[in-house]
Amino acid sequence: MQKRPESQSKPQLKSTTPSNGSQPSSVPSRAQQERTYALPDYRQEVSEITVRQVRKGEEVRYEVSGDLHAPVPPLRDSKYLSQQQCIAIYRFMVMNRKMETALEHLYKQGKVVGGVYFGLGQEACSCASAYALAKDDWFAPMIRNQGSLLVRGFRARDTMMQYMAKAGSPTKGRDGTSHFGDLYERNMVAPISMLGDLIPVLSGVALGARLQGRDIAVMTYIGDGGQSTGVTYEGINFASVQNLGLVLFIESNMWAYSTPSEMQYRNKDLAERAIGYGIPGVIVDGTDACQVYDAAHEAVERAHRGEGPTLIEAKMMRMKGHAIHDGANYVPHALFEYWKKRDPIARMENYLLHTRKWLTLEENKALLEEVEREIEVEREIAVNSPMPQPESALGGVYCEEGCHTIRPKYGVPKVRKGTGAFRQTEAAVHLK
Amino acid sequence: MAVMTYIDAITSALREEMARDERVFMIGEDIGAMGGVFKATKGLQEEFGSARVIDSPLAEGIIISSSIGAAMAGMRPVPEIQFADFIAPAMDSIVEQAAKLRYRSAGTQTCPLTVRVCYGGGVGGGLYHSQTNTSWFIHTPGLIVVAPSSPYDAKGLLKAAIRNDDPVLFFEHKKLYRSVKEEVPAEDYTIPLMKAAVKRKGSDVTAISHGYMLQLTLQAAEKMHKEQGAEVEVIDLRTLAPLDKDTFLESVARTSRAVVVHEANRTLGIGAEISAIIAEEAFDCLDAPIARVTGPDIPAVPASPPLENFYMPSVERIVAALERTLEY
Ligand SMILES: Cc1ncc(C[n+]2csc(CCOP(=O)(O)OP(=O)(O)O)c2C)c(N)n1
Ligand SMILES: [Mg+2]
Repeated sequence: MQKRPESQSKPQLKSTTPSNGSQPSSVPSRAQQERTYALPDYRQEVSEITVRQVRKGEEVRYEVSGDLHAPVPPLRDSKYLSQQQCIAIYRFMVMNRKMETALEHLYKQGKVVGGVYFGLGQEACSCASAYALAKDDWFAPMIRNQGSLLVRGFRARDTMMQYMAKAGSPTKGRDGTSHFGDLYERNMVAPISMLGDLIPVLSGVALGARLQGRDIAVMTYIGDGGQSTGVTYEGINFASVQNLGLVLFIESNMWAYSTPSEMQYRNKDLAERAIGYGIPGVIVDGTDACQVYDAAHEAVERAHRGEGPTLIEAKMMRMKGHAIHDGANYVPHALFEYWKKRDPIARMENYLLHTRKWLTLEENKALLEEVEREIEVEREIAVNSPMPQPESALGGVYCEEGCHTIRPKYGVPKVRKGTGAFRQTEAAVHLK
Repeated sequence: MAVMTYIDAITSALREEMARDERVFMIGEDIGAMGGVFKATKGLQEEFGSARVIDSPLAEGIIISSSIGAAMAGMRPVPEIQFADFIAPAMDSIVEQAAKLRYRSAGTQTCPLTVRVCYGGGVGGGLYHSQTNTSWFIHTPGLIVVAPSSPYDAKGLLKAAIRNDDPVLFFEHKKLYRSVKEEVPAEDYTIPLMKAAVKRKGSDVTAISHGYMLQLTLQAAEKMHKEQGAEVEVIDLRTLAPLDKDTFLESVARTSRAVVVHEANRTLGIGAEISAIIAEEAFDCLDAPIARVTGPDIPAVPASPPLENFYMPSVERIVAALERTLEY
């Protein structure tokens, strides 16, 4: 394990620009803006485990470099989380995992339509990030963030019914997986499969709120693979120039399906991309819920102050195949072993039980059993709910009788109404 | 001759074309070491190396744009789009660069690329892994749109596409990959693009289809023959654009009845164009209105089996349309 030099081990997020309301013109000029070249790194170890694809003739191998036997560092004490909050996040992580185990069983029983996706090993990133959001903030999870849904108040049955494509699922069987949203109560934009596409949309949500006089945080996630898309650039850049409160987690989990991350980008750390956008970038250990929370919390606060976006790279490992059908034989076994020792839930459990002594063995046992029972109840409800009627495939394409009304979320837009003295100028001539 | 699945036929076409022409190369997501998520490119990186079978970053835009550029530089790219649903980021370069290059250079320049696109429903893939967006490309002159229905055709058409000097969108139906097998010659052969085929002879009604739906149409024709003695002529379009109208017009002139079957949603699907052509050019021959069996006009194929079955044209629905047309 390589210890970070002292100067870098106390991470601080510097705010670049003051809050400026809705007028982009009041954003300080480039020269006034502080450079954001320093990348705060919250990790307690810098494992630098990398994978490289090498092909020799007919054979493909993956070379792993770095110290695979480095000891597991302790969790970093959170600057903000209380005992109760730590336990709450731990509980969500446990529920996240137990829900996915239940989904795996449902799949094996032939009850799932399509595949099952897992966030195994990434629960800290999903749960602690979403936990940092305020009620009015927005989020859009990706496929690995089924835990974020629980944190934001969705029931396990919602996700389970989605996977079984039941009539009672949030999309009424139209889509599977965690592809659903809620624009009204829980401020969630429904994910779509198209990787990267959520980022600019969430920037737009923040723009909409800004026009209504509110600076909110909008949180979403992107993989080391998905960040290669063009829309990723557009979405972050727009949030940057407009100082919108985008909190973007890059889930650096070493793989995009079968493709190792070295074939997606050439930076040492994806957080470095922040430099190019002129926004703060932070690195966290994605298996340490405290670090994830602290970075998310600071980014969310920044967003609430109207200071613009933050890019947070969470380093971790996709501990299963891409989806249930993928055995991930291409992943070197040693990688799984290394990261297994860094299991986010086991680390948090150990932290609460032994380091902090915030949870007794009995309390922990009770918590685990209670979550288990809850998941079982949710599973029963989901399994026993009916499939949709065939004809229900129609409808809901355009506005129908009884449609909802769309209202501004945060009040009347705070915009200039205009003076009525529109100056008539000569029509454009370039097409004549 | 060997009995092959649709996907094996595609793999062997790719292998043979790469061996035949050193300008041919492939680029796409997970196509190299993994051999593609459906394994269409399995073994090809081993055989031809990672310089010719390139694992791209996860970005459809660059997969297609870089292929267009390489084609301009004299190569024969065969990029893969993992799912048709994800092709939209590449639309700009397909429509604005590839489709228009020949026209805007008054016929003097071209970019010969063959975009392999995995499409279609019927596998519980849900809204974002089941789409049939062939019409986007059919509506774009300058592109050749191919959609084979069988292993034999898939191999011969793919080879022809790679050798063709214009941009081709080659639609492979994921449901066909492992569900149909047939004899495929070991020796080199191509099937001409822009030419439909009569897949079953008949005199009572003409059924026009392509891709996975062609297989269902053949089953429907067999059912009609067995149960009612009706003889359905089945035409496989094979290429959707530019459209070979002669083959189906000639057939309709004999049968006087036409049913079009496709998976894409109805409005401005290929069935609309075929119906218009028949109405314009063979109106006098018709004894019944033209019927269409298509996906409904909803935004995508829903996930839940009852809903997906409702979306997908079925043998029963095709039979019903044939009966209606015959009884008219
Ligand atoms: C635009 C787009 N192209 C292709 C896909 C197919 N696909 C789904 S997930 C995936 C790999 C994603 O890797 P990464 O972004 O690193 O996320 P991870 O699965 O590791 O969480 C691919 C290729 C997609 N969903 N969207
Ligand atoms: Mg990844």
